[in-house]
Amino acid sequence: MPAFLLKRLMQSVMLLVIVSIVGFVVLNLIPGGPMAQYALDPGMTQEDMNRLAEQLGLNRPLWVQYLDWIWRLVQGDWGTSFRDGSPVLDVIGRHVFATLLLMGSSTVIAVAVGTWIGIRGATHRYSTFDYLATVGAMIALSIPTFWFGLIGIYVFSLKLGWLPAGNMYTIGDGSVLNYLHHLIMPSTVLALVHIAIWSRFMRAATLDAISQEFVKTARAKGVGERRVILKHVVGNALLPMITLAGVQLPSLLTGALVTETVFTWPGMGRLFLDSLGYSDYPVVMGLLIFSAILTIAGNLIADIVVALVDPRIRLA
Amino acid sequence: MTTFSAVHTPSRWWQSRVMRRFMEHRLALLGLSMITLLTLACIVGPSLLPYDSLSIDLRARFAPPLSGGHYLGTDPLGRDVAARLLMAGRISLLVGFTAMLLSIVVGTVVGVIAGYQGGWINAVLMRTVDGFLSYPSIFLLLALAAALKPSPVMITVIIAVTSWMEVARIVEAEVRSLKEREFVLAGRMLGLGRAHIMFREILPNAMGPIIVAATLTVARAILLEAYVSFLGFGIQPPLPSWGNMLNGAQQYLGSAPWLAIIPGAAITIAVTSFNFIGDGLRDALDVRHDTI
Amino acid sequence: MTKNEFLKSGYSRRAALRLFAAGGAAGLFAPHLLGRPAFAQTPPAAPTGRIIVGISQEPTVFNPLMAHIEVDDGVHFSMFDALFRIDPQGVIVPNLAAEVPTQANGGISEDGLSWRIRLRDDVRWHDGEAFTAEDVKFTLELITKPDFRAWRTTGHALLRDIAVVSPTEITWRMERAFAPYLSFLTETFIVPRHILEKEADPNTAAFNQAPIGTGAFKWGKRIAGDHLELVANPDYFGEGPYIEQLIFKYIPDMTVLYTQFRSGDIDLVGQAYITPDNYEEARNLPGRVVTLVPKGSVESIYLNLERPQFKDRAVREALYLAIDRHAIIDGLNYGVPGMTETFMPLQSYYHNPDLPKHEFNLDRARQLLDEAGWVPGADGIRVKDGVRLSFKNSTTSGAHLREQAQQFIQQTFAEIGVEMTIENLPSAVMWGDFWSQSQFDTAMVGITYLIGADPDVTNRFHTKAIVAKGGSGSNNAQYSDAEVDALLEEGSRTFDPEARRKIYFRVQELIRRDLPFLPLFANTLVYGHKEGIEGYVPNGNTRTESWHAAGWFRA
Repeated sequence: MPAFLLKRLMQSVMLLVIVSIVGFVVLNLIPGGPMAQYALDPGMTQEDMNRLAEQLGLNRPLWVQYLDWIWRLVQGDWGTSFRDGSPVLDVIGRHVFATLLLMGSSTVIAVAVGTWIGIRGATHRYSTFDYLATVGAMIALSIPTFWFGLIGIYVFSLKLGWLPAGNMYTIGDGSVLNYLHHLIMPSTVLALVHIAIWSRFMRAATLDAISQEFVKTARAKGVGERRVILKHVVGNALLPMITLAGVQLPSLLTGALVTETVFTWPGMGRLFLDSLGYSDYPVVMGLLIFSAILTIAGNLIADIVVALVDPRIRLA
Repeated sequence: MTTFSAVHTPSRWWQSRVMRRFMEHRLALLGLSMITLLTLACIVGPSLLPYDSLSIDLRARFAPPLSGGHYLGTDPLGRDVAARLLMAGRISLLVGFTAMLLSIVVGTVVGVIAGYQGGWINAVLMRTVDGFLSYPSIFLLLALAAALKPSPVMITVIIAVTSWMEVARIVEAEVRSLKEREFVLAGRMLGLGRAHIMFREILPNAMGPIIVAATLTVARAILLEAYVSFLGFGIQPPLPSWGNMLNGAQQYLGSAPWLAIIPGAAITIAVTSFNFIGDGLRDALDVRHDTI
Repeated sequence: MTKNEFLKSGYSRRAALRLFAAGGAAGLFAPHLLGRPAFAQTPPAAPTGRIIVGISQEPTVFNPLMAHIEVDDGVHFSMFDALFRIDPQGVIVPNLAAEVPTQANGGISEDGLSWRIRLRDDVRWHDGEAFTAEDVKFTLELITKPDFRAWRTTGHALLRDIAVVSPTEITWRMERAFAPYLSFLTETFIVPRHILEKEADPNTAAFNQAPIGTGAFKWGKRIAGDHLELVANPDYFGEGPYIEQLIFKYIPDMTVLYTQFRSGDIDLVGQAYITPDNYEEARNLPGRVVTLVPKGSVESIYLNLERPQFKDRAVREALYLAIDRHAIIDGLNYGVPGMTETFMPLQSYYHNPDLPKHEFNLDRARQLLDEAGWVPGADGIRVKDGVRLSFKNSTTSGAHLREQAQQFIQQTFAEIGVEMTIENLPSAVMWGDFWSQSQFDTAMVGITYLIGADPDVTNRFHTKAIVAKGGSGSNNAQYSDAEVDALLEEGSRTFDPEARRKIYFRVQELIRRDLPFLPLFANTLVYGHKEGIEGYVPNGNTRTESWHAAGWFRA
């Protein structure tokens, strides 16, 4: 186990370095840069912009900038946002809650609904329900999320006026109900794809479990069908589900990005787009590293948990 | 994560058993016919419509569907939405197909080499794949679209750049399991060249999963094009694409909702069809894919 | 108020301006920045209620001296004071200063080089410390400190020998006479010396995240990515504030911004306001007041004159003739913007109304091109001396009204044998080197040419301001004309408004003749707020709707 961990850790660090180098290069390939936002300011001269670029250290060779950045990162300094002058970790930290809230609630919806559909589909295999669920899942995976959000806004905000078109809460009303009211649409839209994935997955896992010996034994022993399903099947399917959850961790950033854009949600996806728009390199790099770490950690945790839970799997 | 059982029947993959199983898959057939219809409509349709997709008529702005001979209404510049939708379909489908071909070629080459060679070549190639995968693909897409001038060709390349990794992973796993098979060993004994074995002996046997991946990649590419163009980074006006027809439609959601509904529905239909086909092929070719 | 009424009132305002500009009469305005109309409600005795301003970009820079963008201005104007302010009529009025220095009142010497500013003695910082001339000196010196990430330094860099005469008086010398400096000072907010001088690095000072000013509002709290809350400063020396809380709510999407204005979630639509295509609907919303406010910027097809296609003036004239401006203004923009022939804002005292009027005439355009020797080639596109009359047009991608106008113009250009292709770019790319180093063929852009209401446009039209040729400024069209250069130099040295008016009238004639840009329209913003919010006065001479939130109140 320790040897495995060490090897994985080394690989992860290498991966992070590669990710950061490529990210840095691609980011700097984009013409324009952080000064573009001042270009239309009537009193701003080219000299002013050159001076600012110099002060931000943007006139140095790219490799110097990179080494400087990564050297600080190793020491725990993620840099300072060009846009608002605060440390990058603070900037990211201020947006984590909104994203977690959105992701959390949509995961709850996705797992609850997806599990139910999946198990029901498996226990009623080839029924109309199963068939509809399969088709529904395929369609859900095919709908462009941003478009689905727009249609939601059109129907529920503009036409019916039931739900807010955006934002996390109404200013001056921080009640839980108010948050929930704002959460309904974005979390449902975001959950759609995940419901599809979870339900397909649960269906397969349940089918797998049903065919296994211990379930047959339990049934033979006269344990009620419901209990069999709940206890044995779900318990057994949980393992691969943990893996899936781990693999999905990085979508914390990307998965929510589209939804956050459409619903003007003040989370990390929104921050990412804004920072990219203003060429706020330190924040973009910070988010990239953050998401890469999540990806790697997600995979790693999934592997370890599976190994701990299931003694049959040996980490090599 | 993903494992595939090999297609090692001595007969070729397209022979009757596969065809029969595909034809029995009703959803796949539905998808295939929808895509065929859509493609035909996009190819022939524009010449049958009374309006040109580019001609501007400010007196006919925001005509709702089914008014004044505009079956699907008009856009903010008074252009016929039906004509634009079909022209856009040409672009979007073409971009989707070409991006798929590119990413399949790149992914297959990388996957075959990595899978067959193993060792450090495998490590380098597959870690590169991991590296690409650990980016938010949106970042790569937007950053590249911003860095390069957005022409249809560029967008295609950019989408391919962000889509080849999954194919590489699938092919690598497949090839790794195939390379110990008898026919490969036999080929090696006969003194066949490495390239010959990789691309003439192993590759044809790995076609099943590649074909499935191809259909799913088209679906994904169409979605990506739509999203990038929706954000304004993709196909540039006046050339219509399904994505850029949605860009700006948001502005008129309240007053002219058809501008948003129609292109989005077209995207959903096209993508669903490809996913149906992919699903059917997966069953027919006996390819297993655990995480769907 | 309709647009016409607004424009009409502009003329009477000019008369008023002449009066104030001539002498120190502007001092009469203080401490009230505005004459309040007789019919208005009276504000409450103590600050009550809350106003939420919806804005489409997020304010992130709170130290007003640091490099920032338009949307940060609203916060700065609300929390800080400058020496002077500019009122909606374009008159510079005292703010922290006790009077506006002129050559007539002796505040500025005859040669324009020595300045003396007298300050108010009743101003306190939000933490209770007294405001003095030392703060002004500290501020002006901080701006030009080499390591400080200052906003623009034009004008400030000319200051020499800044001296505090007394707590209420400060003097300095200018390297050369620079009349526009007064306008720069209206956007130079004074920061507290007693807080910032203790900081080792003003770039990262705690002050920048929770600033202390002298303004009508104090720092409340910030929820990053969502909103910023300011609270009333009951000890404000000037008018107001009449509301307890001023909130800037960040709503990154224009559709949601408008939807929330309609639903009443926000009280007032700030930057980037209501899009013209929603104007008609917004105007008829019950309980909402929607106003058209002429902005200082001019929308145009901006040409890169160094491209061989555009060297020939006949081409530029022909292109101008081939733009159906009425269709763009009345059709695509719903009649919201105004017609203009110049870079000078319509409402400015310096606006030249006698310039030749544009006409849309494709026949005349073709004739001009024929006469100039541009003949259609095999593909219908005109050619002369091997140069095809084909070029790209770029703007920020995703700006839907601009994209519509582009495609519309593309069509009429094609009718006279000119090919215009569209190549739009994300804003961070568009306004980078592509723009500043003149790498574009043509751009569709709305440019604010003036600083405050000062008519100086050296930055935009002087030969020395061509960055692509090693100059300093933002003459991105690479326009160069000896007479214009001379006039601009004279204009920036001249303090007398009447004399300056003549100079800039001539500049406008020359620019209209040479057409370095093809004017489309004078930008007009659609402001909106709830009924019952009083004291809300738009000011086209500033970049923000919240330039005077101190005067807002809820009736």
